[in-house]
Amino acid sequence: MTARSVLRNEWRLLMADRALRIVLGLFAVLLVYALANGVVWMRFQERTVEAVQTGNVERTRALADELAAIENGAEPASRFADPRAPNVMGGARGSHTAVLEPGPLTALAVGQSDLLPYYYDVNIYTNESSFHQNGEVENPLNLMVGRFDLTFVVIYLLPLLVLALSFNVLSEEREQGTLALTLSQPVSARRVVAAKLAFRALLLVGMVLAASLLGILVTGGFGSPGRVLLWCATVVTYALFWFVLAAWVNSLRRSSAWNATVLVGAWLVLVVVLPAAINIASGLLHPLPSRVQMVTAQREASNEAVNRRSELLARYLEDHPEMAGGVVAEEPGLGALAWAATDAVNRRLEEVTSEHDARRAEQIALVRRYRFLSPALLAQEVLIDAAGTGDARFAGFQSQVRAFAEQWREFFVPAILASEQMDASVLPDVPKFRLEDEEGADVARRAGVPLTVLGALLVLAGVGAGVGLGRVRGAD
Amino acid sequence: MRHIVRKEFTDVLRDGRFRWCAILVGALLLVSLGHGWAQARSAQQEHAAAQATARDHWESQGEKNPHSAAHYGIYAFKPRLALSFVDEGVDPYTGTSVWLEAHRQNDFLLRPAQDATAAQRIGALTAAQVLQHLVPLLIILLTFGALAGERERGTLRQLLATGIGRRELAVGKALGIAGALALLLVPAALVGAAALVVGSPGPAASPLARGVVLAGVYLAYFTAFLALSLAVSAWARSARTALVILLGVWVVNGLVAPRVAVDLSKWLHPTPSALEFARNVEREMASGVEDISRPDRAALTERLLAEHGVERVEDLPVNEVGVYLQESEEFGNRIFDRNYGALWDTFERQGVVHEALAVVAPLLAVRTLSMGLAGTDVEQHRHFATAAEAYRRDLMRRMNGDLAENSRTGDTYLAGPELWEETPPLEYAAPTLGWVLGNRILSILVLGTWLVGAVLAAAARVRRAEVG
Amino acid sequence: MVASETAYPTREIEHMNTPESRHPAELGNGRTALLEARGLSKNYGATRALDSLDLAIAPGEVYCLLGPNGAGKTTTINLFLGFVAPTSGQALIAGLDVSTHDRETKQRIAYIPEQVMLYRNLSGLENLEYFAALGGKGALTPARLTDILVEAGLERSAVDQRVSEYSKGMRQKVGIAIAIAKEADALLLDEPTSGLDPQASNEFSELIERLKDRGVAVLMATHDLFRAKETGTRVGIMRYGRLVTELGTEEIGHADLERIYLKHMHD
Repeated sequence: MTARSVLRNEWRLLMADRALRIVLGLFAVLLVYALANGVVWMRFQERTVEAVQTGNVERTRALADELAAIENGAEPASRFADPRAPNVMGGARGSHTAVLEPGPLTALAVGQSDLLPYYYDVNIYTNESSFHQNGEVENPLNLMVGRFDLTFVVIYLLPLLVLALSFNVLSEEREQGTLALTLSQPVSARRVVAAKLAFRALLLVGMVLAASLLGILVTGGFGSPGRVLLWCATVVTYALFWFVLAAWVNSLRRSSAWNATVLVGAWLVLVVVLPAAINIASGLLHPLPSRVQMVTAQREASNEAVNRRSELLARYLEDHPEMAGGVVAEEPGLGALAWAATDAVNRRLEEVTSEHDARRAEQIALVRRYRFLSPALLAQEVLIDAAGTGDARFAGFQSQVRAFAEQWREFFVPAILASEQMDASVLPDVPKFRLEDEEGADVARRAGVPLTVLGALLVLAGVGAGVGLGRVRGAD
Repeated sequence: MRHIVRKEFTDVLRDGRFRWCAILVGALLLVSLGHGWAQARSAQQEHAAAQATARDHWESQGEKNPHSAAHYGIYAFKPRLALSFVDEGVDPYTGTSVWLEAHRQNDFLLRPAQDATAAQRIGALTAAQVLQHLVPLLIILLTFGALAGERERGTLRQLLATGIGRRELAVGKALGIAGALALLLVPAALVGAAALVVGSPGPAASPLARGVVLAGVYLAYFTAFLALSLAVSAWARSARTALVILLGVWVVNGLVAPRVAVDLSKWLHPTPSALEFARNVEREMASGVEDISRPDRAALTERLLAEHGVERVEDLPVNEVGVYLQESEEFGNRIFDRNYGALWDTFERQGVVHEALAVVAPLLAVRTLSMGLAGTDVEQHRHFATAAEAYRRDLMRRMNGDLAENSRTGDTYLAGPELWEETPPLEYAAPTLGWVLGNRILSILVLGTWLVGAVLAAAARVRRAEVG
Repeated sequence: MVASETAYPTREIEHMNTPESRHPAELGNGRTALLEARGLSKNYGATRALDSLDLAIAPGEVYCLLGPNGAGKTTTINLFLGFVAPTSGQALIAGLDVSTHDRETKQRIAYIPEQVMLYRNLSGLENLEYFAALGGKGALTPARLTDILVEAGLERSAVDQRVSEYSKGMRQKVGIAIAIAKEADALLLDEPTSGLDPQASNEFSELIERLKDRGVAVLMATHDLFRAKETGTRVGIMRYGRLVTELGTEEIGHADLERIYLKHMHD
């Protein structure tokens, strides 16, 4: 009874307020705009993925055609480009592009997908430095600013709107004098405020969820119900956190102006200042290692390797007897020597990289602890992770590409060492990259802690609000 | 009026809210300046060291065919300019190093942002961001009640009854608030200047002059915001309305408009996908395009033979391979100029969209100017990339020239350390202040318009302000 | 004990802190008191805003609290509303303690503040609908609610106007309508006629009269001696948080009331 009356009354009040109607209309426009941006970006990535896959098919077909021609007596274009040579077939000409499909909810969260590479050419020369790629062509200025996607609207604008609608949910009643009349009825301040906020939450969260589901519908993201659920749960939790915070501040029984100042301050601190302060602090306390030194290390490794080819080959065969398998030519050919040098460079690079990556992982783990201070950081992390555009999914893709490159080398290197020639019959057996995309459960596991902390912040604010509102009487 | 300035100044300083906000903003400003300075300095040292090592590698590569040396190439590392500690701009999103090798123009790799996390992407904070986002908010908080609040409390009536003019009142208030802000900003500016003089993080053409102009740009921005806030405060019916309107302006200025500019710029000036771009370059390199055609080796040989009046390539006074390699290099250069040039031009046109949108959000003009003066905008990245590419071409010309002149076709030729050493190292001269400002006329005009417009609006609104 | 003696009009009430001196719930004539205060006290810091108030108001009775500002009238009403918690003593509504039975007691009372403040962007009818629903009368139809507004004295044409266009008198009438709609047993009025013109004030008195006839118990804090005499069945005079005198209005003339009031103010 109470809740329904309050909801109805709130609806009437809202409809009677022209400014509020305009603001809500504007919010709806921004939601649609953000969604359209996301959909356009996802389509763009999907087209690229398709082109990459076509490229793979075309390259294989070109190789097959050339091999067939040679079979029929034609001469290869050049001694260095003979497709029968394993270092050509497994090299740049025959390379296979491993590609990561856009995250199922990319339309809702561009996330890191405009910054991180989502496809890599894999061939026998793929090594750690191959992962130093720029990804999509994008104006650095645009990367710096970031996209106007739904995640941006949820993280930055939604809280502002929540606060604009709720900062005076109780203080206004007192200031306009209706609170005494309301509380002279058999209702508690807690119920009235809860009903009023529930109404606003239904309205705003409903708008955001409707936009989200529309985007998911348009881009076919319902194939990943776990991600959709996680996205929705995070949006709801994050939005409720701000509503409850507003209730808490209202329960302190100060003026609307005071509430507004405090809540805008809270937004500024939690959404803008804290994430920045966290980054500065972590940059000072745990600076990320620089990649610049890697370039130097890579150079030094290759200088050394080129000078010590024969020695390296011997060591290589000691380390990888399975690669020799008794088929190494008595007199190691040029290909085998070159490969030994390549492998030495790769291994030195791996050493440098793994050292770098270990330090980086350590520091990122330290940095990530601080994110518990800011609901905005927590929500952003889960939202883009749920969308499949977060750091973890790209890291997972990269490690799968690493494993695939290893598989690729295992296919071609024995032939290189043995100075064998290959023919069209091996083409169907050449490894193909199959992405094992993370499951909804993986994402949910990663989201567990941040979402729980976000929920805990919500509960904390809720308890504060509940206690404070319990003290509210008609006359103060 | 002196009294008003003094009263307002004291009032602001005694306001607990201001004190807290000012402490917060001041602390963030100082910490971000310090952190930026330390970071820029260590990055610059690292880049300089890496550049020196790269040169070392180049010089100590032993006896080699010059074309092998060309393939070996050299790495170039982008220097961090002196003022980049104030505004790191797009630096985290541009690569820091490029491999200069034979036959191809490479991309800049190792973008710091790629090594960071998504959280770091939304929470980056530099001194420039404090100045662009937080100081205007402070100005709004100090100013929204200047006239609307006095009117609500009824003190405006009393003040004007003393015979003071409205304009004097408004100017007095503005100066009082500006004075309070100066307590925060002047020390920060001095710290910044001291950091430049004592330990400049990196090279730059006329860093102090750039710094002075940078200070001027921010001063204009803050003045415009102060005037705008006063205008709204004079116009709004209540202090609350004034605050809501000004916060709305702040959100559009700092949050909405910059991102809208991104999408708008991409929509108006689309960039190709990385795949398309790479395939295009590959295709044009393989078969030429329009009037750029691959050099014809047979025709070149014939031409050389005819020129020198000999029958066999072995008898030529030059190494035909060297000449051919250089011709291929020049063919490639034209293809790269065509493709990369178009891409850079697109980026620049996208930048103009950001600048033009400053009409609704002055932050965009200030940001453009700030990055420009700090030397961290896209144009100055292009400037360095162009210099690095010019160096690469010169290097290739030298290698191919040496091969062509000092050997004969078919010879096994090895050049020695003298050749590597006589190749000059990459010396990069950052663009001058004039160059930067010349590129940024649009932003200067828009910011100037905002300044003049806001001051005029404030004057008009104050004149017409209701007493209440 | 004291009330049953019906020592009107001149019985003086002095400190009556002993338990046996408290008002029983049973009134002398066998009716149950709807509003009852037992040794009700309220301190704000060191200030004693209300000092051991004993009071019992039966159905059909209109009790007017008179006294200067700060005498404790509004505090008394706030205590009956549960808006403030008593320092000691009890406020009872139909025998239930307000501080332990917040909901039950509020279901039985209606309250009209000095300034009836409403949602300015809604019409009188919409405001009534809302507050009636909160009071548990959500089933009333708009037609019935309109009738109640008209009964409370509002012009039929004003019912659908926005409250922002209402005068103070019109808002007070909506307040009365809220009370009527609730069909409350008791009515708490805090200076309901202050700032009303004489005609509106008169209409208001007539309404109170009608509610009284329906058996509603009314507690009204007021400055208006004339109104108190007209509508009240009993008058209590308060000063410094204490009830200093209680009189039956039927036995005194208007001039007497003013004299008695002033006498107590100058003591």
